[in-house]
Amino acid sequence: MNAQNVGKINFVGALITLATIFAAILWAFPIYWGIISSLKPEDEVVRPYIELWPDTLTFQHYWFALTQTQIGRWYINSIGTAVGVTFLTVTTSMFAGYAISQLNFPFRRTLYWIILASFMVPTQVLIINHFVLIANLGLLNTWAGIILPQLIHPVIIIIYKQFFDQVPKDFREAAVMDNAGEFRILFKVYMPLNWGVTTAVSIVTFIWSWNAFLWPFLAVTKTELMTITVGITQVNDAFGVYYARQLSAAVLAGFPVALAYLLFQRKVTEAITLSAGIKG
Amino acid sequence: MSEISLKNVSKSYGAVTVIDNLSLDINDGELMVFLGPSGSGKSTLLRMIAGLETIDAGSLFIGGKPCHDLAPGQRDVAMVFQNYALYPHMTVRENMEFGLKNIKLSHQEIDERVTNAARILEMDKLLDRRPSQLSGGQRQRVAIGRAIVKKPAAFLFDEPLSNLDAALRVRTRVELSQLHQTVKSTMIYVTHDQTEAMTLGERIVILNECKIEQIGTPMEIYTSPRTLFVAGFIGSPSMNIFSVDLTQANDTLQATLPDGTQIAIDMDVPAGARYDLGIRPESVLISPTAADCTGVVKVVERLGDRTLVYVELKDGSQLIAQDAGSSTVVVGDTVHLALDKTKIHLFDQNGINVLHR
Amino acid sequence: MLRNHKSETIVAMILIAPFIAIYGLIFIYPTVDMFLLSFQKAPLIGDGTWVGVDNYTRLASDRRFDTAFWNTAYFVALSVVPGTFVALFISLGISRLSGRIQALVLALFFLPYILPVSVVYRIWDWTLNFQFGIAMHVFDWLGFDRIPIFKITGWFMPAVAFVTIWWTAGFSILLFLAGLRAIPVEIYEASSLDNASRWQTFRKITWPLLWPVTALVLTIQLISQLKIFDQVYLFSTGGRPNDNLVMVYYIFQRAFVNNHGGRAAAIAVVLFIIVIVVSVLNFQLMRFAGKKQ
Repeated sequence: MNAQNVGKINFVGALITLATIFAAILWAFPIYWGIISSLKPEDEVVRPYIELWPDTLTFQHYWFALTQTQIGRWYINSIGTAVGVTFLTVTTSMFAGYAISQLNFPFRRTLYWIILASFMVPTQVLIINHFVLIANLGLLNTWAGIILPQLIHPVIIIIYKQFFDQVPKDFREAAVMDNAGEFRILFKVYMPLNWGVTTAVSIVTFIWSWNAFLWPFLAVTKTELMTITVGITQVNDAFGVYYARQLSAAVLAGFPVALAYLLFQRKVTEAITLSAGIKG
Repeated sequence: MSEISLKNVSKSYGAVTVIDNLSLDINDGELMVFLGPSGSGKSTLLRMIAGLETIDAGSLFIGGKPCHDLAPGQRDVAMVFQNYALYPHMTVRENMEFGLKNIKLSHQEIDERVTNAARILEMDKLLDRRPSQLSGGQRQRVAIGRAIVKKPAAFLFDEPLSNLDAALRVRTRVELSQLHQTVKSTMIYVTHDQTEAMTLGERIVILNECKIEQIGTPMEIYTSPRTLFVAGFIGSPSMNIFSVDLTQANDTLQATLPDGTQIAIDMDVPAGARYDLGIRPESVLISPTAADCTGVVKVVERLGDRTLVYVELKDGSQLIAQDAGSSTVVVGDTVHLALDKTKIHLFDQNGINVLHR
Repeated sequence: MLRNHKSETIVAMILIAPFIAIYGLIFIYPTVDMFLLSFQKAPLIGDGTWVGVDNYTRLASDRRFDTAFWNTAYFVALSVVPGTFVALFISLGISRLSGRIQALVLALFFLPYILPVSVVYRIWDWTLNFQFGIAMHVFDWLGFDRIPIFKITGWFMPAVAFVTIWWTAGFSILLFLAGLRAIPVEIYEASSLDNASRWQTFRKITWPLLWPVTALVLTIQLISQLKIFDQVYLFSTGGRPNDNLVMVYYIFQRAFVNNHGGRAAAIAVVLFIIVIVVSVLNFQLMRFAGKKQ
């Protein structure tokens, strides 16, 4: 579409462009509105007319959330569990992906097909049995309990396998001639050559884990162990019917992942496109 | 001692036997070239010696030690890959150190070897650069350097010049020759380029379709090709080959060329059969007093130091002759050709040179 | 390559061991357990008695199951195809832009996708708040009565679908943009030389060439939305959950609210089968439609 109408005054084209930009602004407006509302005092928030900018700009709700509620603990829980999920998922997937890609072992094909087949299983149906399992292991209300069922991410193994497949055979042969053992080949050659993938996959897994709701919601009943994503919906008494306060908590919850996206836009986009391609 | 010996080796891919019962001896300190067209098995053979391909039957000895069951890194050979295979995320120094660290040499020893190799290859200033910051020629040196530091019994080169441009290729060829004299190790060099083979090799193994056609020094191969394939493969432009009938007339053996010309043959071969007769262009002389055959000039190629003249004989077949650089022959001329009888090769029905039987 | 089979196998086993351990524990075992549990009359945690296919046959007359099933289908109908087309048209618009503006516009459309569902919930709960939500002003301008959207059954699903589309379009837009970028510019140049109108270009060139991506987006959306829970659960708080049930919500309710582990497992298995059947059908359908292009 960009190649059309070179030089001509393009009325319809300009209209479409303007419409797109306008639609984008409209699209993001609710986010803006949520943030702005959180910066207003409660009495302003409930005014019957629309104020696009606060009359009185205040951070009182944020202050309240950070000091008077358990948001601090929730942050720690979210960070801890997200890091745990990311680290465990990425490392186990990388190791397994490397083995499937580069090594010959019995049942290699079977394993690969099992992983592919597991794409079909919606993890939501497993919540009952996950709960029973974690409860029986005594891991409810622990970080381990939150982390474990979130480690199902077959797409990451497939991503690593594909990238490892694409490393030219020459490097492996040179490393073998260099007397490198398998582990050294993985850590000193294959892994460094794919740092980009590892970074992209890690960021996306972190975001995904931070945003997880259903399982962390089921796994934790004690408020001090909740992740922030769950916490802001569960604990209403600290907030009461204070809209701006609730919104400030929501902003605090969404801020880290939004920041991660804005900082690592390209990596995130790359990882998402990759995993979608594989699902297809 | 680092002589290499392949005894009756075979290799199969599934049901297909690719290399069958091949034997080959490479002398200690020799620069041996494996020469052949693509698919001839030369790279496969090299990789079998390296350990990157399995030897399904037969044995391999390097320096007297049986190596056919050893892992690649333990055969005391170093390989220079066609595409260099330099680890892109490591500096030149780290590339060279990698193999040495894996066998747990001391820091001191590693440093010493790296410095030494860098000096020999004039790479001292490049040690802290990454491969992506180097030119093609520099990368090749690093690949060689990586091999040198291992102090191997033998160096294996897999078409090392094929990624370089023409001028660099010639320069590097000379440097490789000098390297061999400095390092004095056994070297096996795989190439499809006969110029490289002829200029570098002390001996050449010519391979075709995974079979050895001939092993010999460059001159042996040039002047006395063992098979029709070798005759046609070596020499540029290739040898003229004619299918001839050998007849006995009185006491002399005569070969009859397609255009009817009779050539006296001074060899002890049975008559009454078909043979292939080969003669190189430089042995076909153009002279007004020449009496062997005549033809019309179709193409003239002036190379400066010599002139190639493509002549069409009476029956339409082509004979390539070589004249002086200052030749005045032009297209359309009728020329008289003389064939140097001492430079004629005869090949039997199996393509074997009759003098090699 | 000469390989030492034994040592290679050992290394491989070490490398895949962590994965197998985790997978076995949290995937294989619970899946098998789910099937087993579905044939029992059991509470959420604890032993049960074997009842064969009882839990399944009960579903035929289970009104809540019926609601959940049809609500899910309704939700899928509301969100998958419209969502895909919304994303498609947005990406057509974005692909016309370039440079900083394009990056900015893309970020604006994509940002919702990055947010956790609970944040999305808070934002829209506020925007559509019956008393103070800014969207209520839209109703005023259009001359309608204000509606407590999430409390009224007829409005609930469309609203949740709307929010879901808002939330997930970014993902689809990314894929569409990648697909559009893969179409060589020369093709458009040729069509403009052929005097094709904007609509014709879209129909005859863009749409067919983009079909594989469109099929992919539809598939991913379809499978995702069948499994929906979070938004429905959150937006139902304080409302009438039984009217708004979707499949996963019903599983949750049976298991965690009613403590009927066995019955919940049976519903889970049914959903599992539905997802597989839909995946396969969808795959065939897409292939068939693709051939017609």
